Amino acid sequence: MIEDDREKILASIRRGLRGTERPSAGRSAKSPLLTEPDADFASRFAHFKAELSALGGEAATAGSETDLADIVTAKKTGAIFVYDDIRTGYGTFTSLLTESREARFGLEFGRGYDKREAASFESAVTGCVACIAETGSAVIKTDMRLPAALATSLFVVAEERQLLGSLDELFTDRFGNFEGSNLLLITGPSRTADIEKELVTGVHGPKEVTVVFVQR
Amino acid sequence: MELRSRKFRTLYKTEVGNAQLRANLSKATLQAVDKRGQSFAEVDFKFLQDEAKKIKQESLSRLNDLLSQFEDSARKNNCRIFYAQTPEKANAYVLDIARRYGARTAVKSKSMVTEEIGLAPFLIRNGIETVETDLGEYIVQLAGETPSHITTPAIHKSRTEISRLFHDKLGTELNSDPAFLTAEARRVLREKFLSADIGISGANFLVAETGDIVIVENEGNARLSTSAVKVHIVVTGIEKVIPKFSDLRIFMRLLGRSSTGQKITSYVSLLRGPSTEDEKDGPEEVHIILLDNGRSGLLGTDHQEVLHCIRCGACLNVCPVYRNIGGHAYGSVYPGPIGSLVTPLYFGEQNAPDLPFASSLCGNCTEVCPVGIDIHHQLLAVRHEIKSAKKGGVERFIFRNYRKAMLRPGRYRLAGKIARGLSKTPLLRYFLKGWTQHRELPRFPSRSFREIYKSAKAK
Ligand code: SF4
Repeated sequence: MIEDDREKILASIRRGLRGTERPSAGRSAKSPLLTEPDADFASRFAHFKAELSALGGEAATAGSETDLADIVTAKKTGAIFVYDDIRTGYGTFTSLLTESREARFGLEFGRGYDKREAASFESAVTGCVACIAETGSAVIKTDMRLPAALATSLFVVAEERQLLGSLDELFTDRFGNFEGSNLLLITGPSRTADIEKELVTGVHGPKEVTVVFVQR
Repeated sequence: MELRSRKFRTLYKTEVGNAQLRANLSKATLQAVDKRGQSFAEVDFKFLQDEAKKIKQESLSRLNDLLSQFEDSARKNNCRIFYAQTPEKANAYVLDIARRYGARTAVKSKSMVTEEIGLAPFLIRNGIETVETDLGEYIVQLAGETPSHITTPAIHKSRTEISRLFHDKLGTELNSDPAFLTAEARRVLREKFLSADIGISGANFLVAETGDIVIVENEGNARLSTSAVKVHIVVTGIEKVIPKFSDLRIFMRLLGRSSTGQKITSYVSLLRGPSTEDEKDGPEEVHIILLDNGRSGLLGTDHQEVLHCIRCGACLNVCPVYRNIGGHAYGSVYPGPIGSLVTPLYFGEQNAPDLPFASSLCGNCTEVCPVGIDIHHQLLAVRHEIKSAKKGGVERFIFRNYRKAMLRPGRYRLAGKIARGLSKTPLLRYFLKGWTQHRELPRFPSRSFREIYKSAKAK
């Protein structure tokens, strides 16, 4: 085992800072946004949709789980992976997908499952913990990181009440205290501009991102 | 990392003569500047900048407490922490973990700190295939080069050059369409992700309060490098810690806009450690290496604010010098205005004596810096230190005598006479040849103002 330099580094920091310690600075509670965040779902959704579309993603509303199934089946490519939070929360949707025999569910996979199998799903459907109108982002927390990261087409299913106005609402204790090893903000398709600053989507992650708000 | 900043005077000359490079650079940087400007339309930049600066000031002035708090939080999340004073130590630790796991392949996402310590070449020399998975970094690695920009590593390369490179190294057809080239890279790298044992990343922020390792990116490669592996190793600097989870509302709005003109990057991963019992994938072990390598030496000095940098790259894009010479000329992993500070300040002024002078001091960098670093005044201050440490030299001789001449009218008149006399001979031009190489020496009038005035009065 290699011994680390903790004490040396902390001592060096202490030496440098001696006599310059300052009390914790206050924070302004103000929002940096120049306009008020949208108040109701309709205006938030319009904002969210505009942001996400500008990035090449799609936002939709579904009146029922059957509508949701229609949206997903119309847009998806290849086999679908369905996360457990969807399976438990959207029974009708799940059984419609089961009938079409193209979906596999999180519950069929155990800890340490085969990565290559996860890579074989071209589409993935997951729930989310929040969406943000300001940026067109979906915030997800899943017990399997890979299917959504490897899919070409990602569907995020959300409820109306989950749509937040701005990032100010996300970065609060309510979300800061999440359980689990990771929380992920996804804003549109995976992208790069590394070659001559020309935008290309679907680099390592999804090329298509669709967020559907289901009314219930 | 091989530091070649001492050779700046030769390096920049080759780069500045490369018309292709200058064309690539100005196209890319001007576009980035434009997009950055547009992206700040809906938010109050000044407010964000002030808040970010305040948070960074607090983070540094309480660094010891915050590091300890971060350690506690991260340990609770089952991460292991390792402090390294030097690159050698950090590299050795990573190799040790890799060996313990019998790792053959490592996938790596973009991180300036790993560039700083030369981690990938080190692991490769030690028999571990280490693959850069960010597209720009991958291109640069294939070419056997180093990144030339903090956020756009292959900014110096044109699509034609990249297409030829892929053709030579990967056997792909000669097609310079960026979408085609990106798809090829995706195909090759996907396989690497699926077979890799360990994943290496940097961190944009470490949150003391919660232990979050915050990684922002656009491609999804960092997400895969940190999730599709058994062991995730984070290598980052001690200055990356911030106090609160809620502080992210400021930084997330600044970073994407400043670097690529995005309201937020495509992915923001908040990682807390190895997968929990209820999770079916994710790493079994997470190691966090906190590197010093010259950073703590800046605390309490006039240069402390240089540690605020969040490596957005905005100061590079707006810099007229960077735009003409590119990143490689700086001879350091940290190029551009911020590189001209970080390089001498972290690695010793004697190792980069010319970098602080590679600036027109126009102040563009200071204006765009999201964390309010007074970059151009910092550059001026480092120049002063370098010059004061140096004894002798033509400039010092001239200014010392200039001062003497300005203090006494008699000496001033004499000096004027000598200068006018010298200007008629090639001697002065020879004496100032460094200065006159790219400039015209103004012509001295044959008579001084006093002489003209006197003779006019006499008439
Ligand atoms: S110095 Fe400021 S502008 Fe330059 S990279 Fe760092 S944070 Fe960005």
